[in-house]
Amino acid sequence: MPKKLNLTPYLFLAPALLVIGVFILYPILAVIYYSFTEYDIVTAPVWIGLKNYQQLWNDEVFWLALRNSFVYLLVTPILIVLCILLAIAVNRKLPGINAFRAIYYVPVISGSIAVGYAWRMLFDTNGLINGALLSLGLIKESIQWLAEPALTLPIAMALTIWLGLGYYMMIFLAGLQNIPEELYDAALIDGCNGIQKHWYVSVPGLRPQITFVAVISALAALEVFNEIYTLTGGLGGILNSGVTMVFYLWKQAFKLQHAGYASAIAMALLVITLLFSIVNIRSLERGTEQE
Amino acid sequence: MTAAQTPAVAARRRNRQRHIAETLFWYVLLLFIAAITILPLAWTLLTSLKGPHDAIFSVPPQLLPQDPTLDNYARVWKQLPVGNFFLNSIVVAIATTTLNVLLTALAAYPFAKMKFRGRDTIFYLLLATFIVPPQLTYIPGFVLARNVFQYYDTLVALVFPNLATVFNIFLLRQAFRGVPNDLIDAAKMDGASELRIWWQILLPVIRPSLATAAIITFVTSWNDFLWPSLMLPTMTNKTLPVGLAALQGMFASDLRATAAGIVMTIIPILILFIILQRQFVRGMTGAVKG
Repeated sequence: MPKKLNLTPYLFLAPALLVIGVFILYPILAVIYYSFTEYDIVTAPVWIGLKNYQQLWNDEVFWLALRNSFVYLLVTPILIVLCILLAIAVNRKLPGINAFRAIYYVPVISGSIAVGYAWRMLFDTNGLINGALLSLGLIKESIQWLAEPALTLPIAMALTIWLGLGYYMMIFLAGLQNIPEELYDAALIDGCNGIQKHWYVSVPGLRPQITFVAVISALAALEVFNEIYTLTGGLGGILNSGVTMVFYLWKQAFKLQHAGYASAIAMALLVITLLFSIVNIRSLERGTEQE
Repeated sequence: MTAAQTPAVAARRRNRQRHIAETLFWYVLLLFIAAITILPLAWTLLTSLKGPHDAIFSVPPQLLPQDPTLDNYARVWKQLPVGNFFLNSIVVAIATTTLNVLLTALAAYPFAKMKFRGRDTIFYLLLATFIVPPQLTYIPGFVLARNVFQYYDTLVALVFPNLATVFNIFLLRQAFRGVPNDLIDAAKMDGASELRIWWQILLPVIRPSLATAAIITFVTSWNDFLWPSLMLPTMTNKTLPVGLAALQGMFASDLRATAAGIVMTIIPILILFIILQRQFVRGMTGAVKG
């Protein structure tokens, strides 16, 4: 009997695929096209060949943005280490431990815009940080934290880490709770001390979570915007010190109306995220195979 | 007390002392981290309650307001349509969440339980889009909003592009996979249509995962900033985060008012978090299972 094509699965898929097609797949194709044009969104795009890419190659701000985005990736290993330690700390039966977990989670749900502006107040010349450091005698006069090019990126990265702590901690905590207790008992019998036991049991046991957090937090780092926007008041910092790939994309497309040029930046960003995700997943998978 | 007991008692006492010291150590550590976590937000809350005679900046810093006041909130409320921001955020988050979970649950079912041509290809294609930076799609998205769908400067612009997310499809596919096939087969024997099976039998079974997807979608929508900031130029149309950015521009030198704005933005989602705490935590972490 010839098999009749069953339409049911396709009907179930249709609405979601339509949305993803229109708002993700089509935009990728459109951005590829726009990147070869001069386009201000209002008037029709004009084909200019490779000009945008040539301009990109000679654009110092673009290279700075690229460099800044790569520097920003440092948040990923820091988050992994801090959050595993934090998860180990809260993975014990103490009275009130749930309250602590909940408190650590508050920044995650508060949202990066609100929290970003709160941090901007803290680091204001007249903010709490200067007040505290002055009264402790650690500094002689107020520091202009957010007007110091060398500090823009580190402060934004600290904010990203602070925002992510609770979220990634919870992921690692869930992972820890899946590790069978017997493995820890065996490690103790083998003579492991408290720290060794985590190194030999917890860390290998958390491999899937580490892969997940590495990929997710690296993507988030490459796509960072809100932290830079709030801390620099939407300007990108003195001397573009806080300008990342996405910030530059946004500025070119929506502040300067250079949508064609911004599309070329978007293509560069896409290639980088692609390469990075492949390398990230590959290397972490290889790590698992060696187990 | 016999001689044989003494060492044992001493050892037990030493053990207990060690236990107390260890517990104390963990509490100090946990409290320290909690302080770091809460300090920026607590400082913001205290600043928002400060009157004109309370110092924002002083050495040493003044933490508590001497004469607490709600004037700062009133000032922000008078200058900006904060009520609209609230309503807009709620409408967008609820609409996005409901429709998104519905559409992704529909799509996830065949991926989990049906055999059809192109299934794996489509699925991996979807997974690959996961690494596309959303900001890349905003340029064509902006053109679509202005020229094709005509929803620029309306709330629809925030709902429409977020009607389906690959992440939720993946999450719910995992959930459907966990449902035993017998359940579906039995319903089919009774002559139920696939749509009915999905709605009446499967959705109730995977309710915890639906809650997870809903919470993730709601929080993401609530805190979304870049796309809404591009789409909503008119003040009364803005959502809370976009309104907060506008407030920050208007009250740049008024830290008390800025602080009040920040608190007003955080409070609603914080209340929701406190009510649904358990679901929240399970929701945000349940998404990763190896």
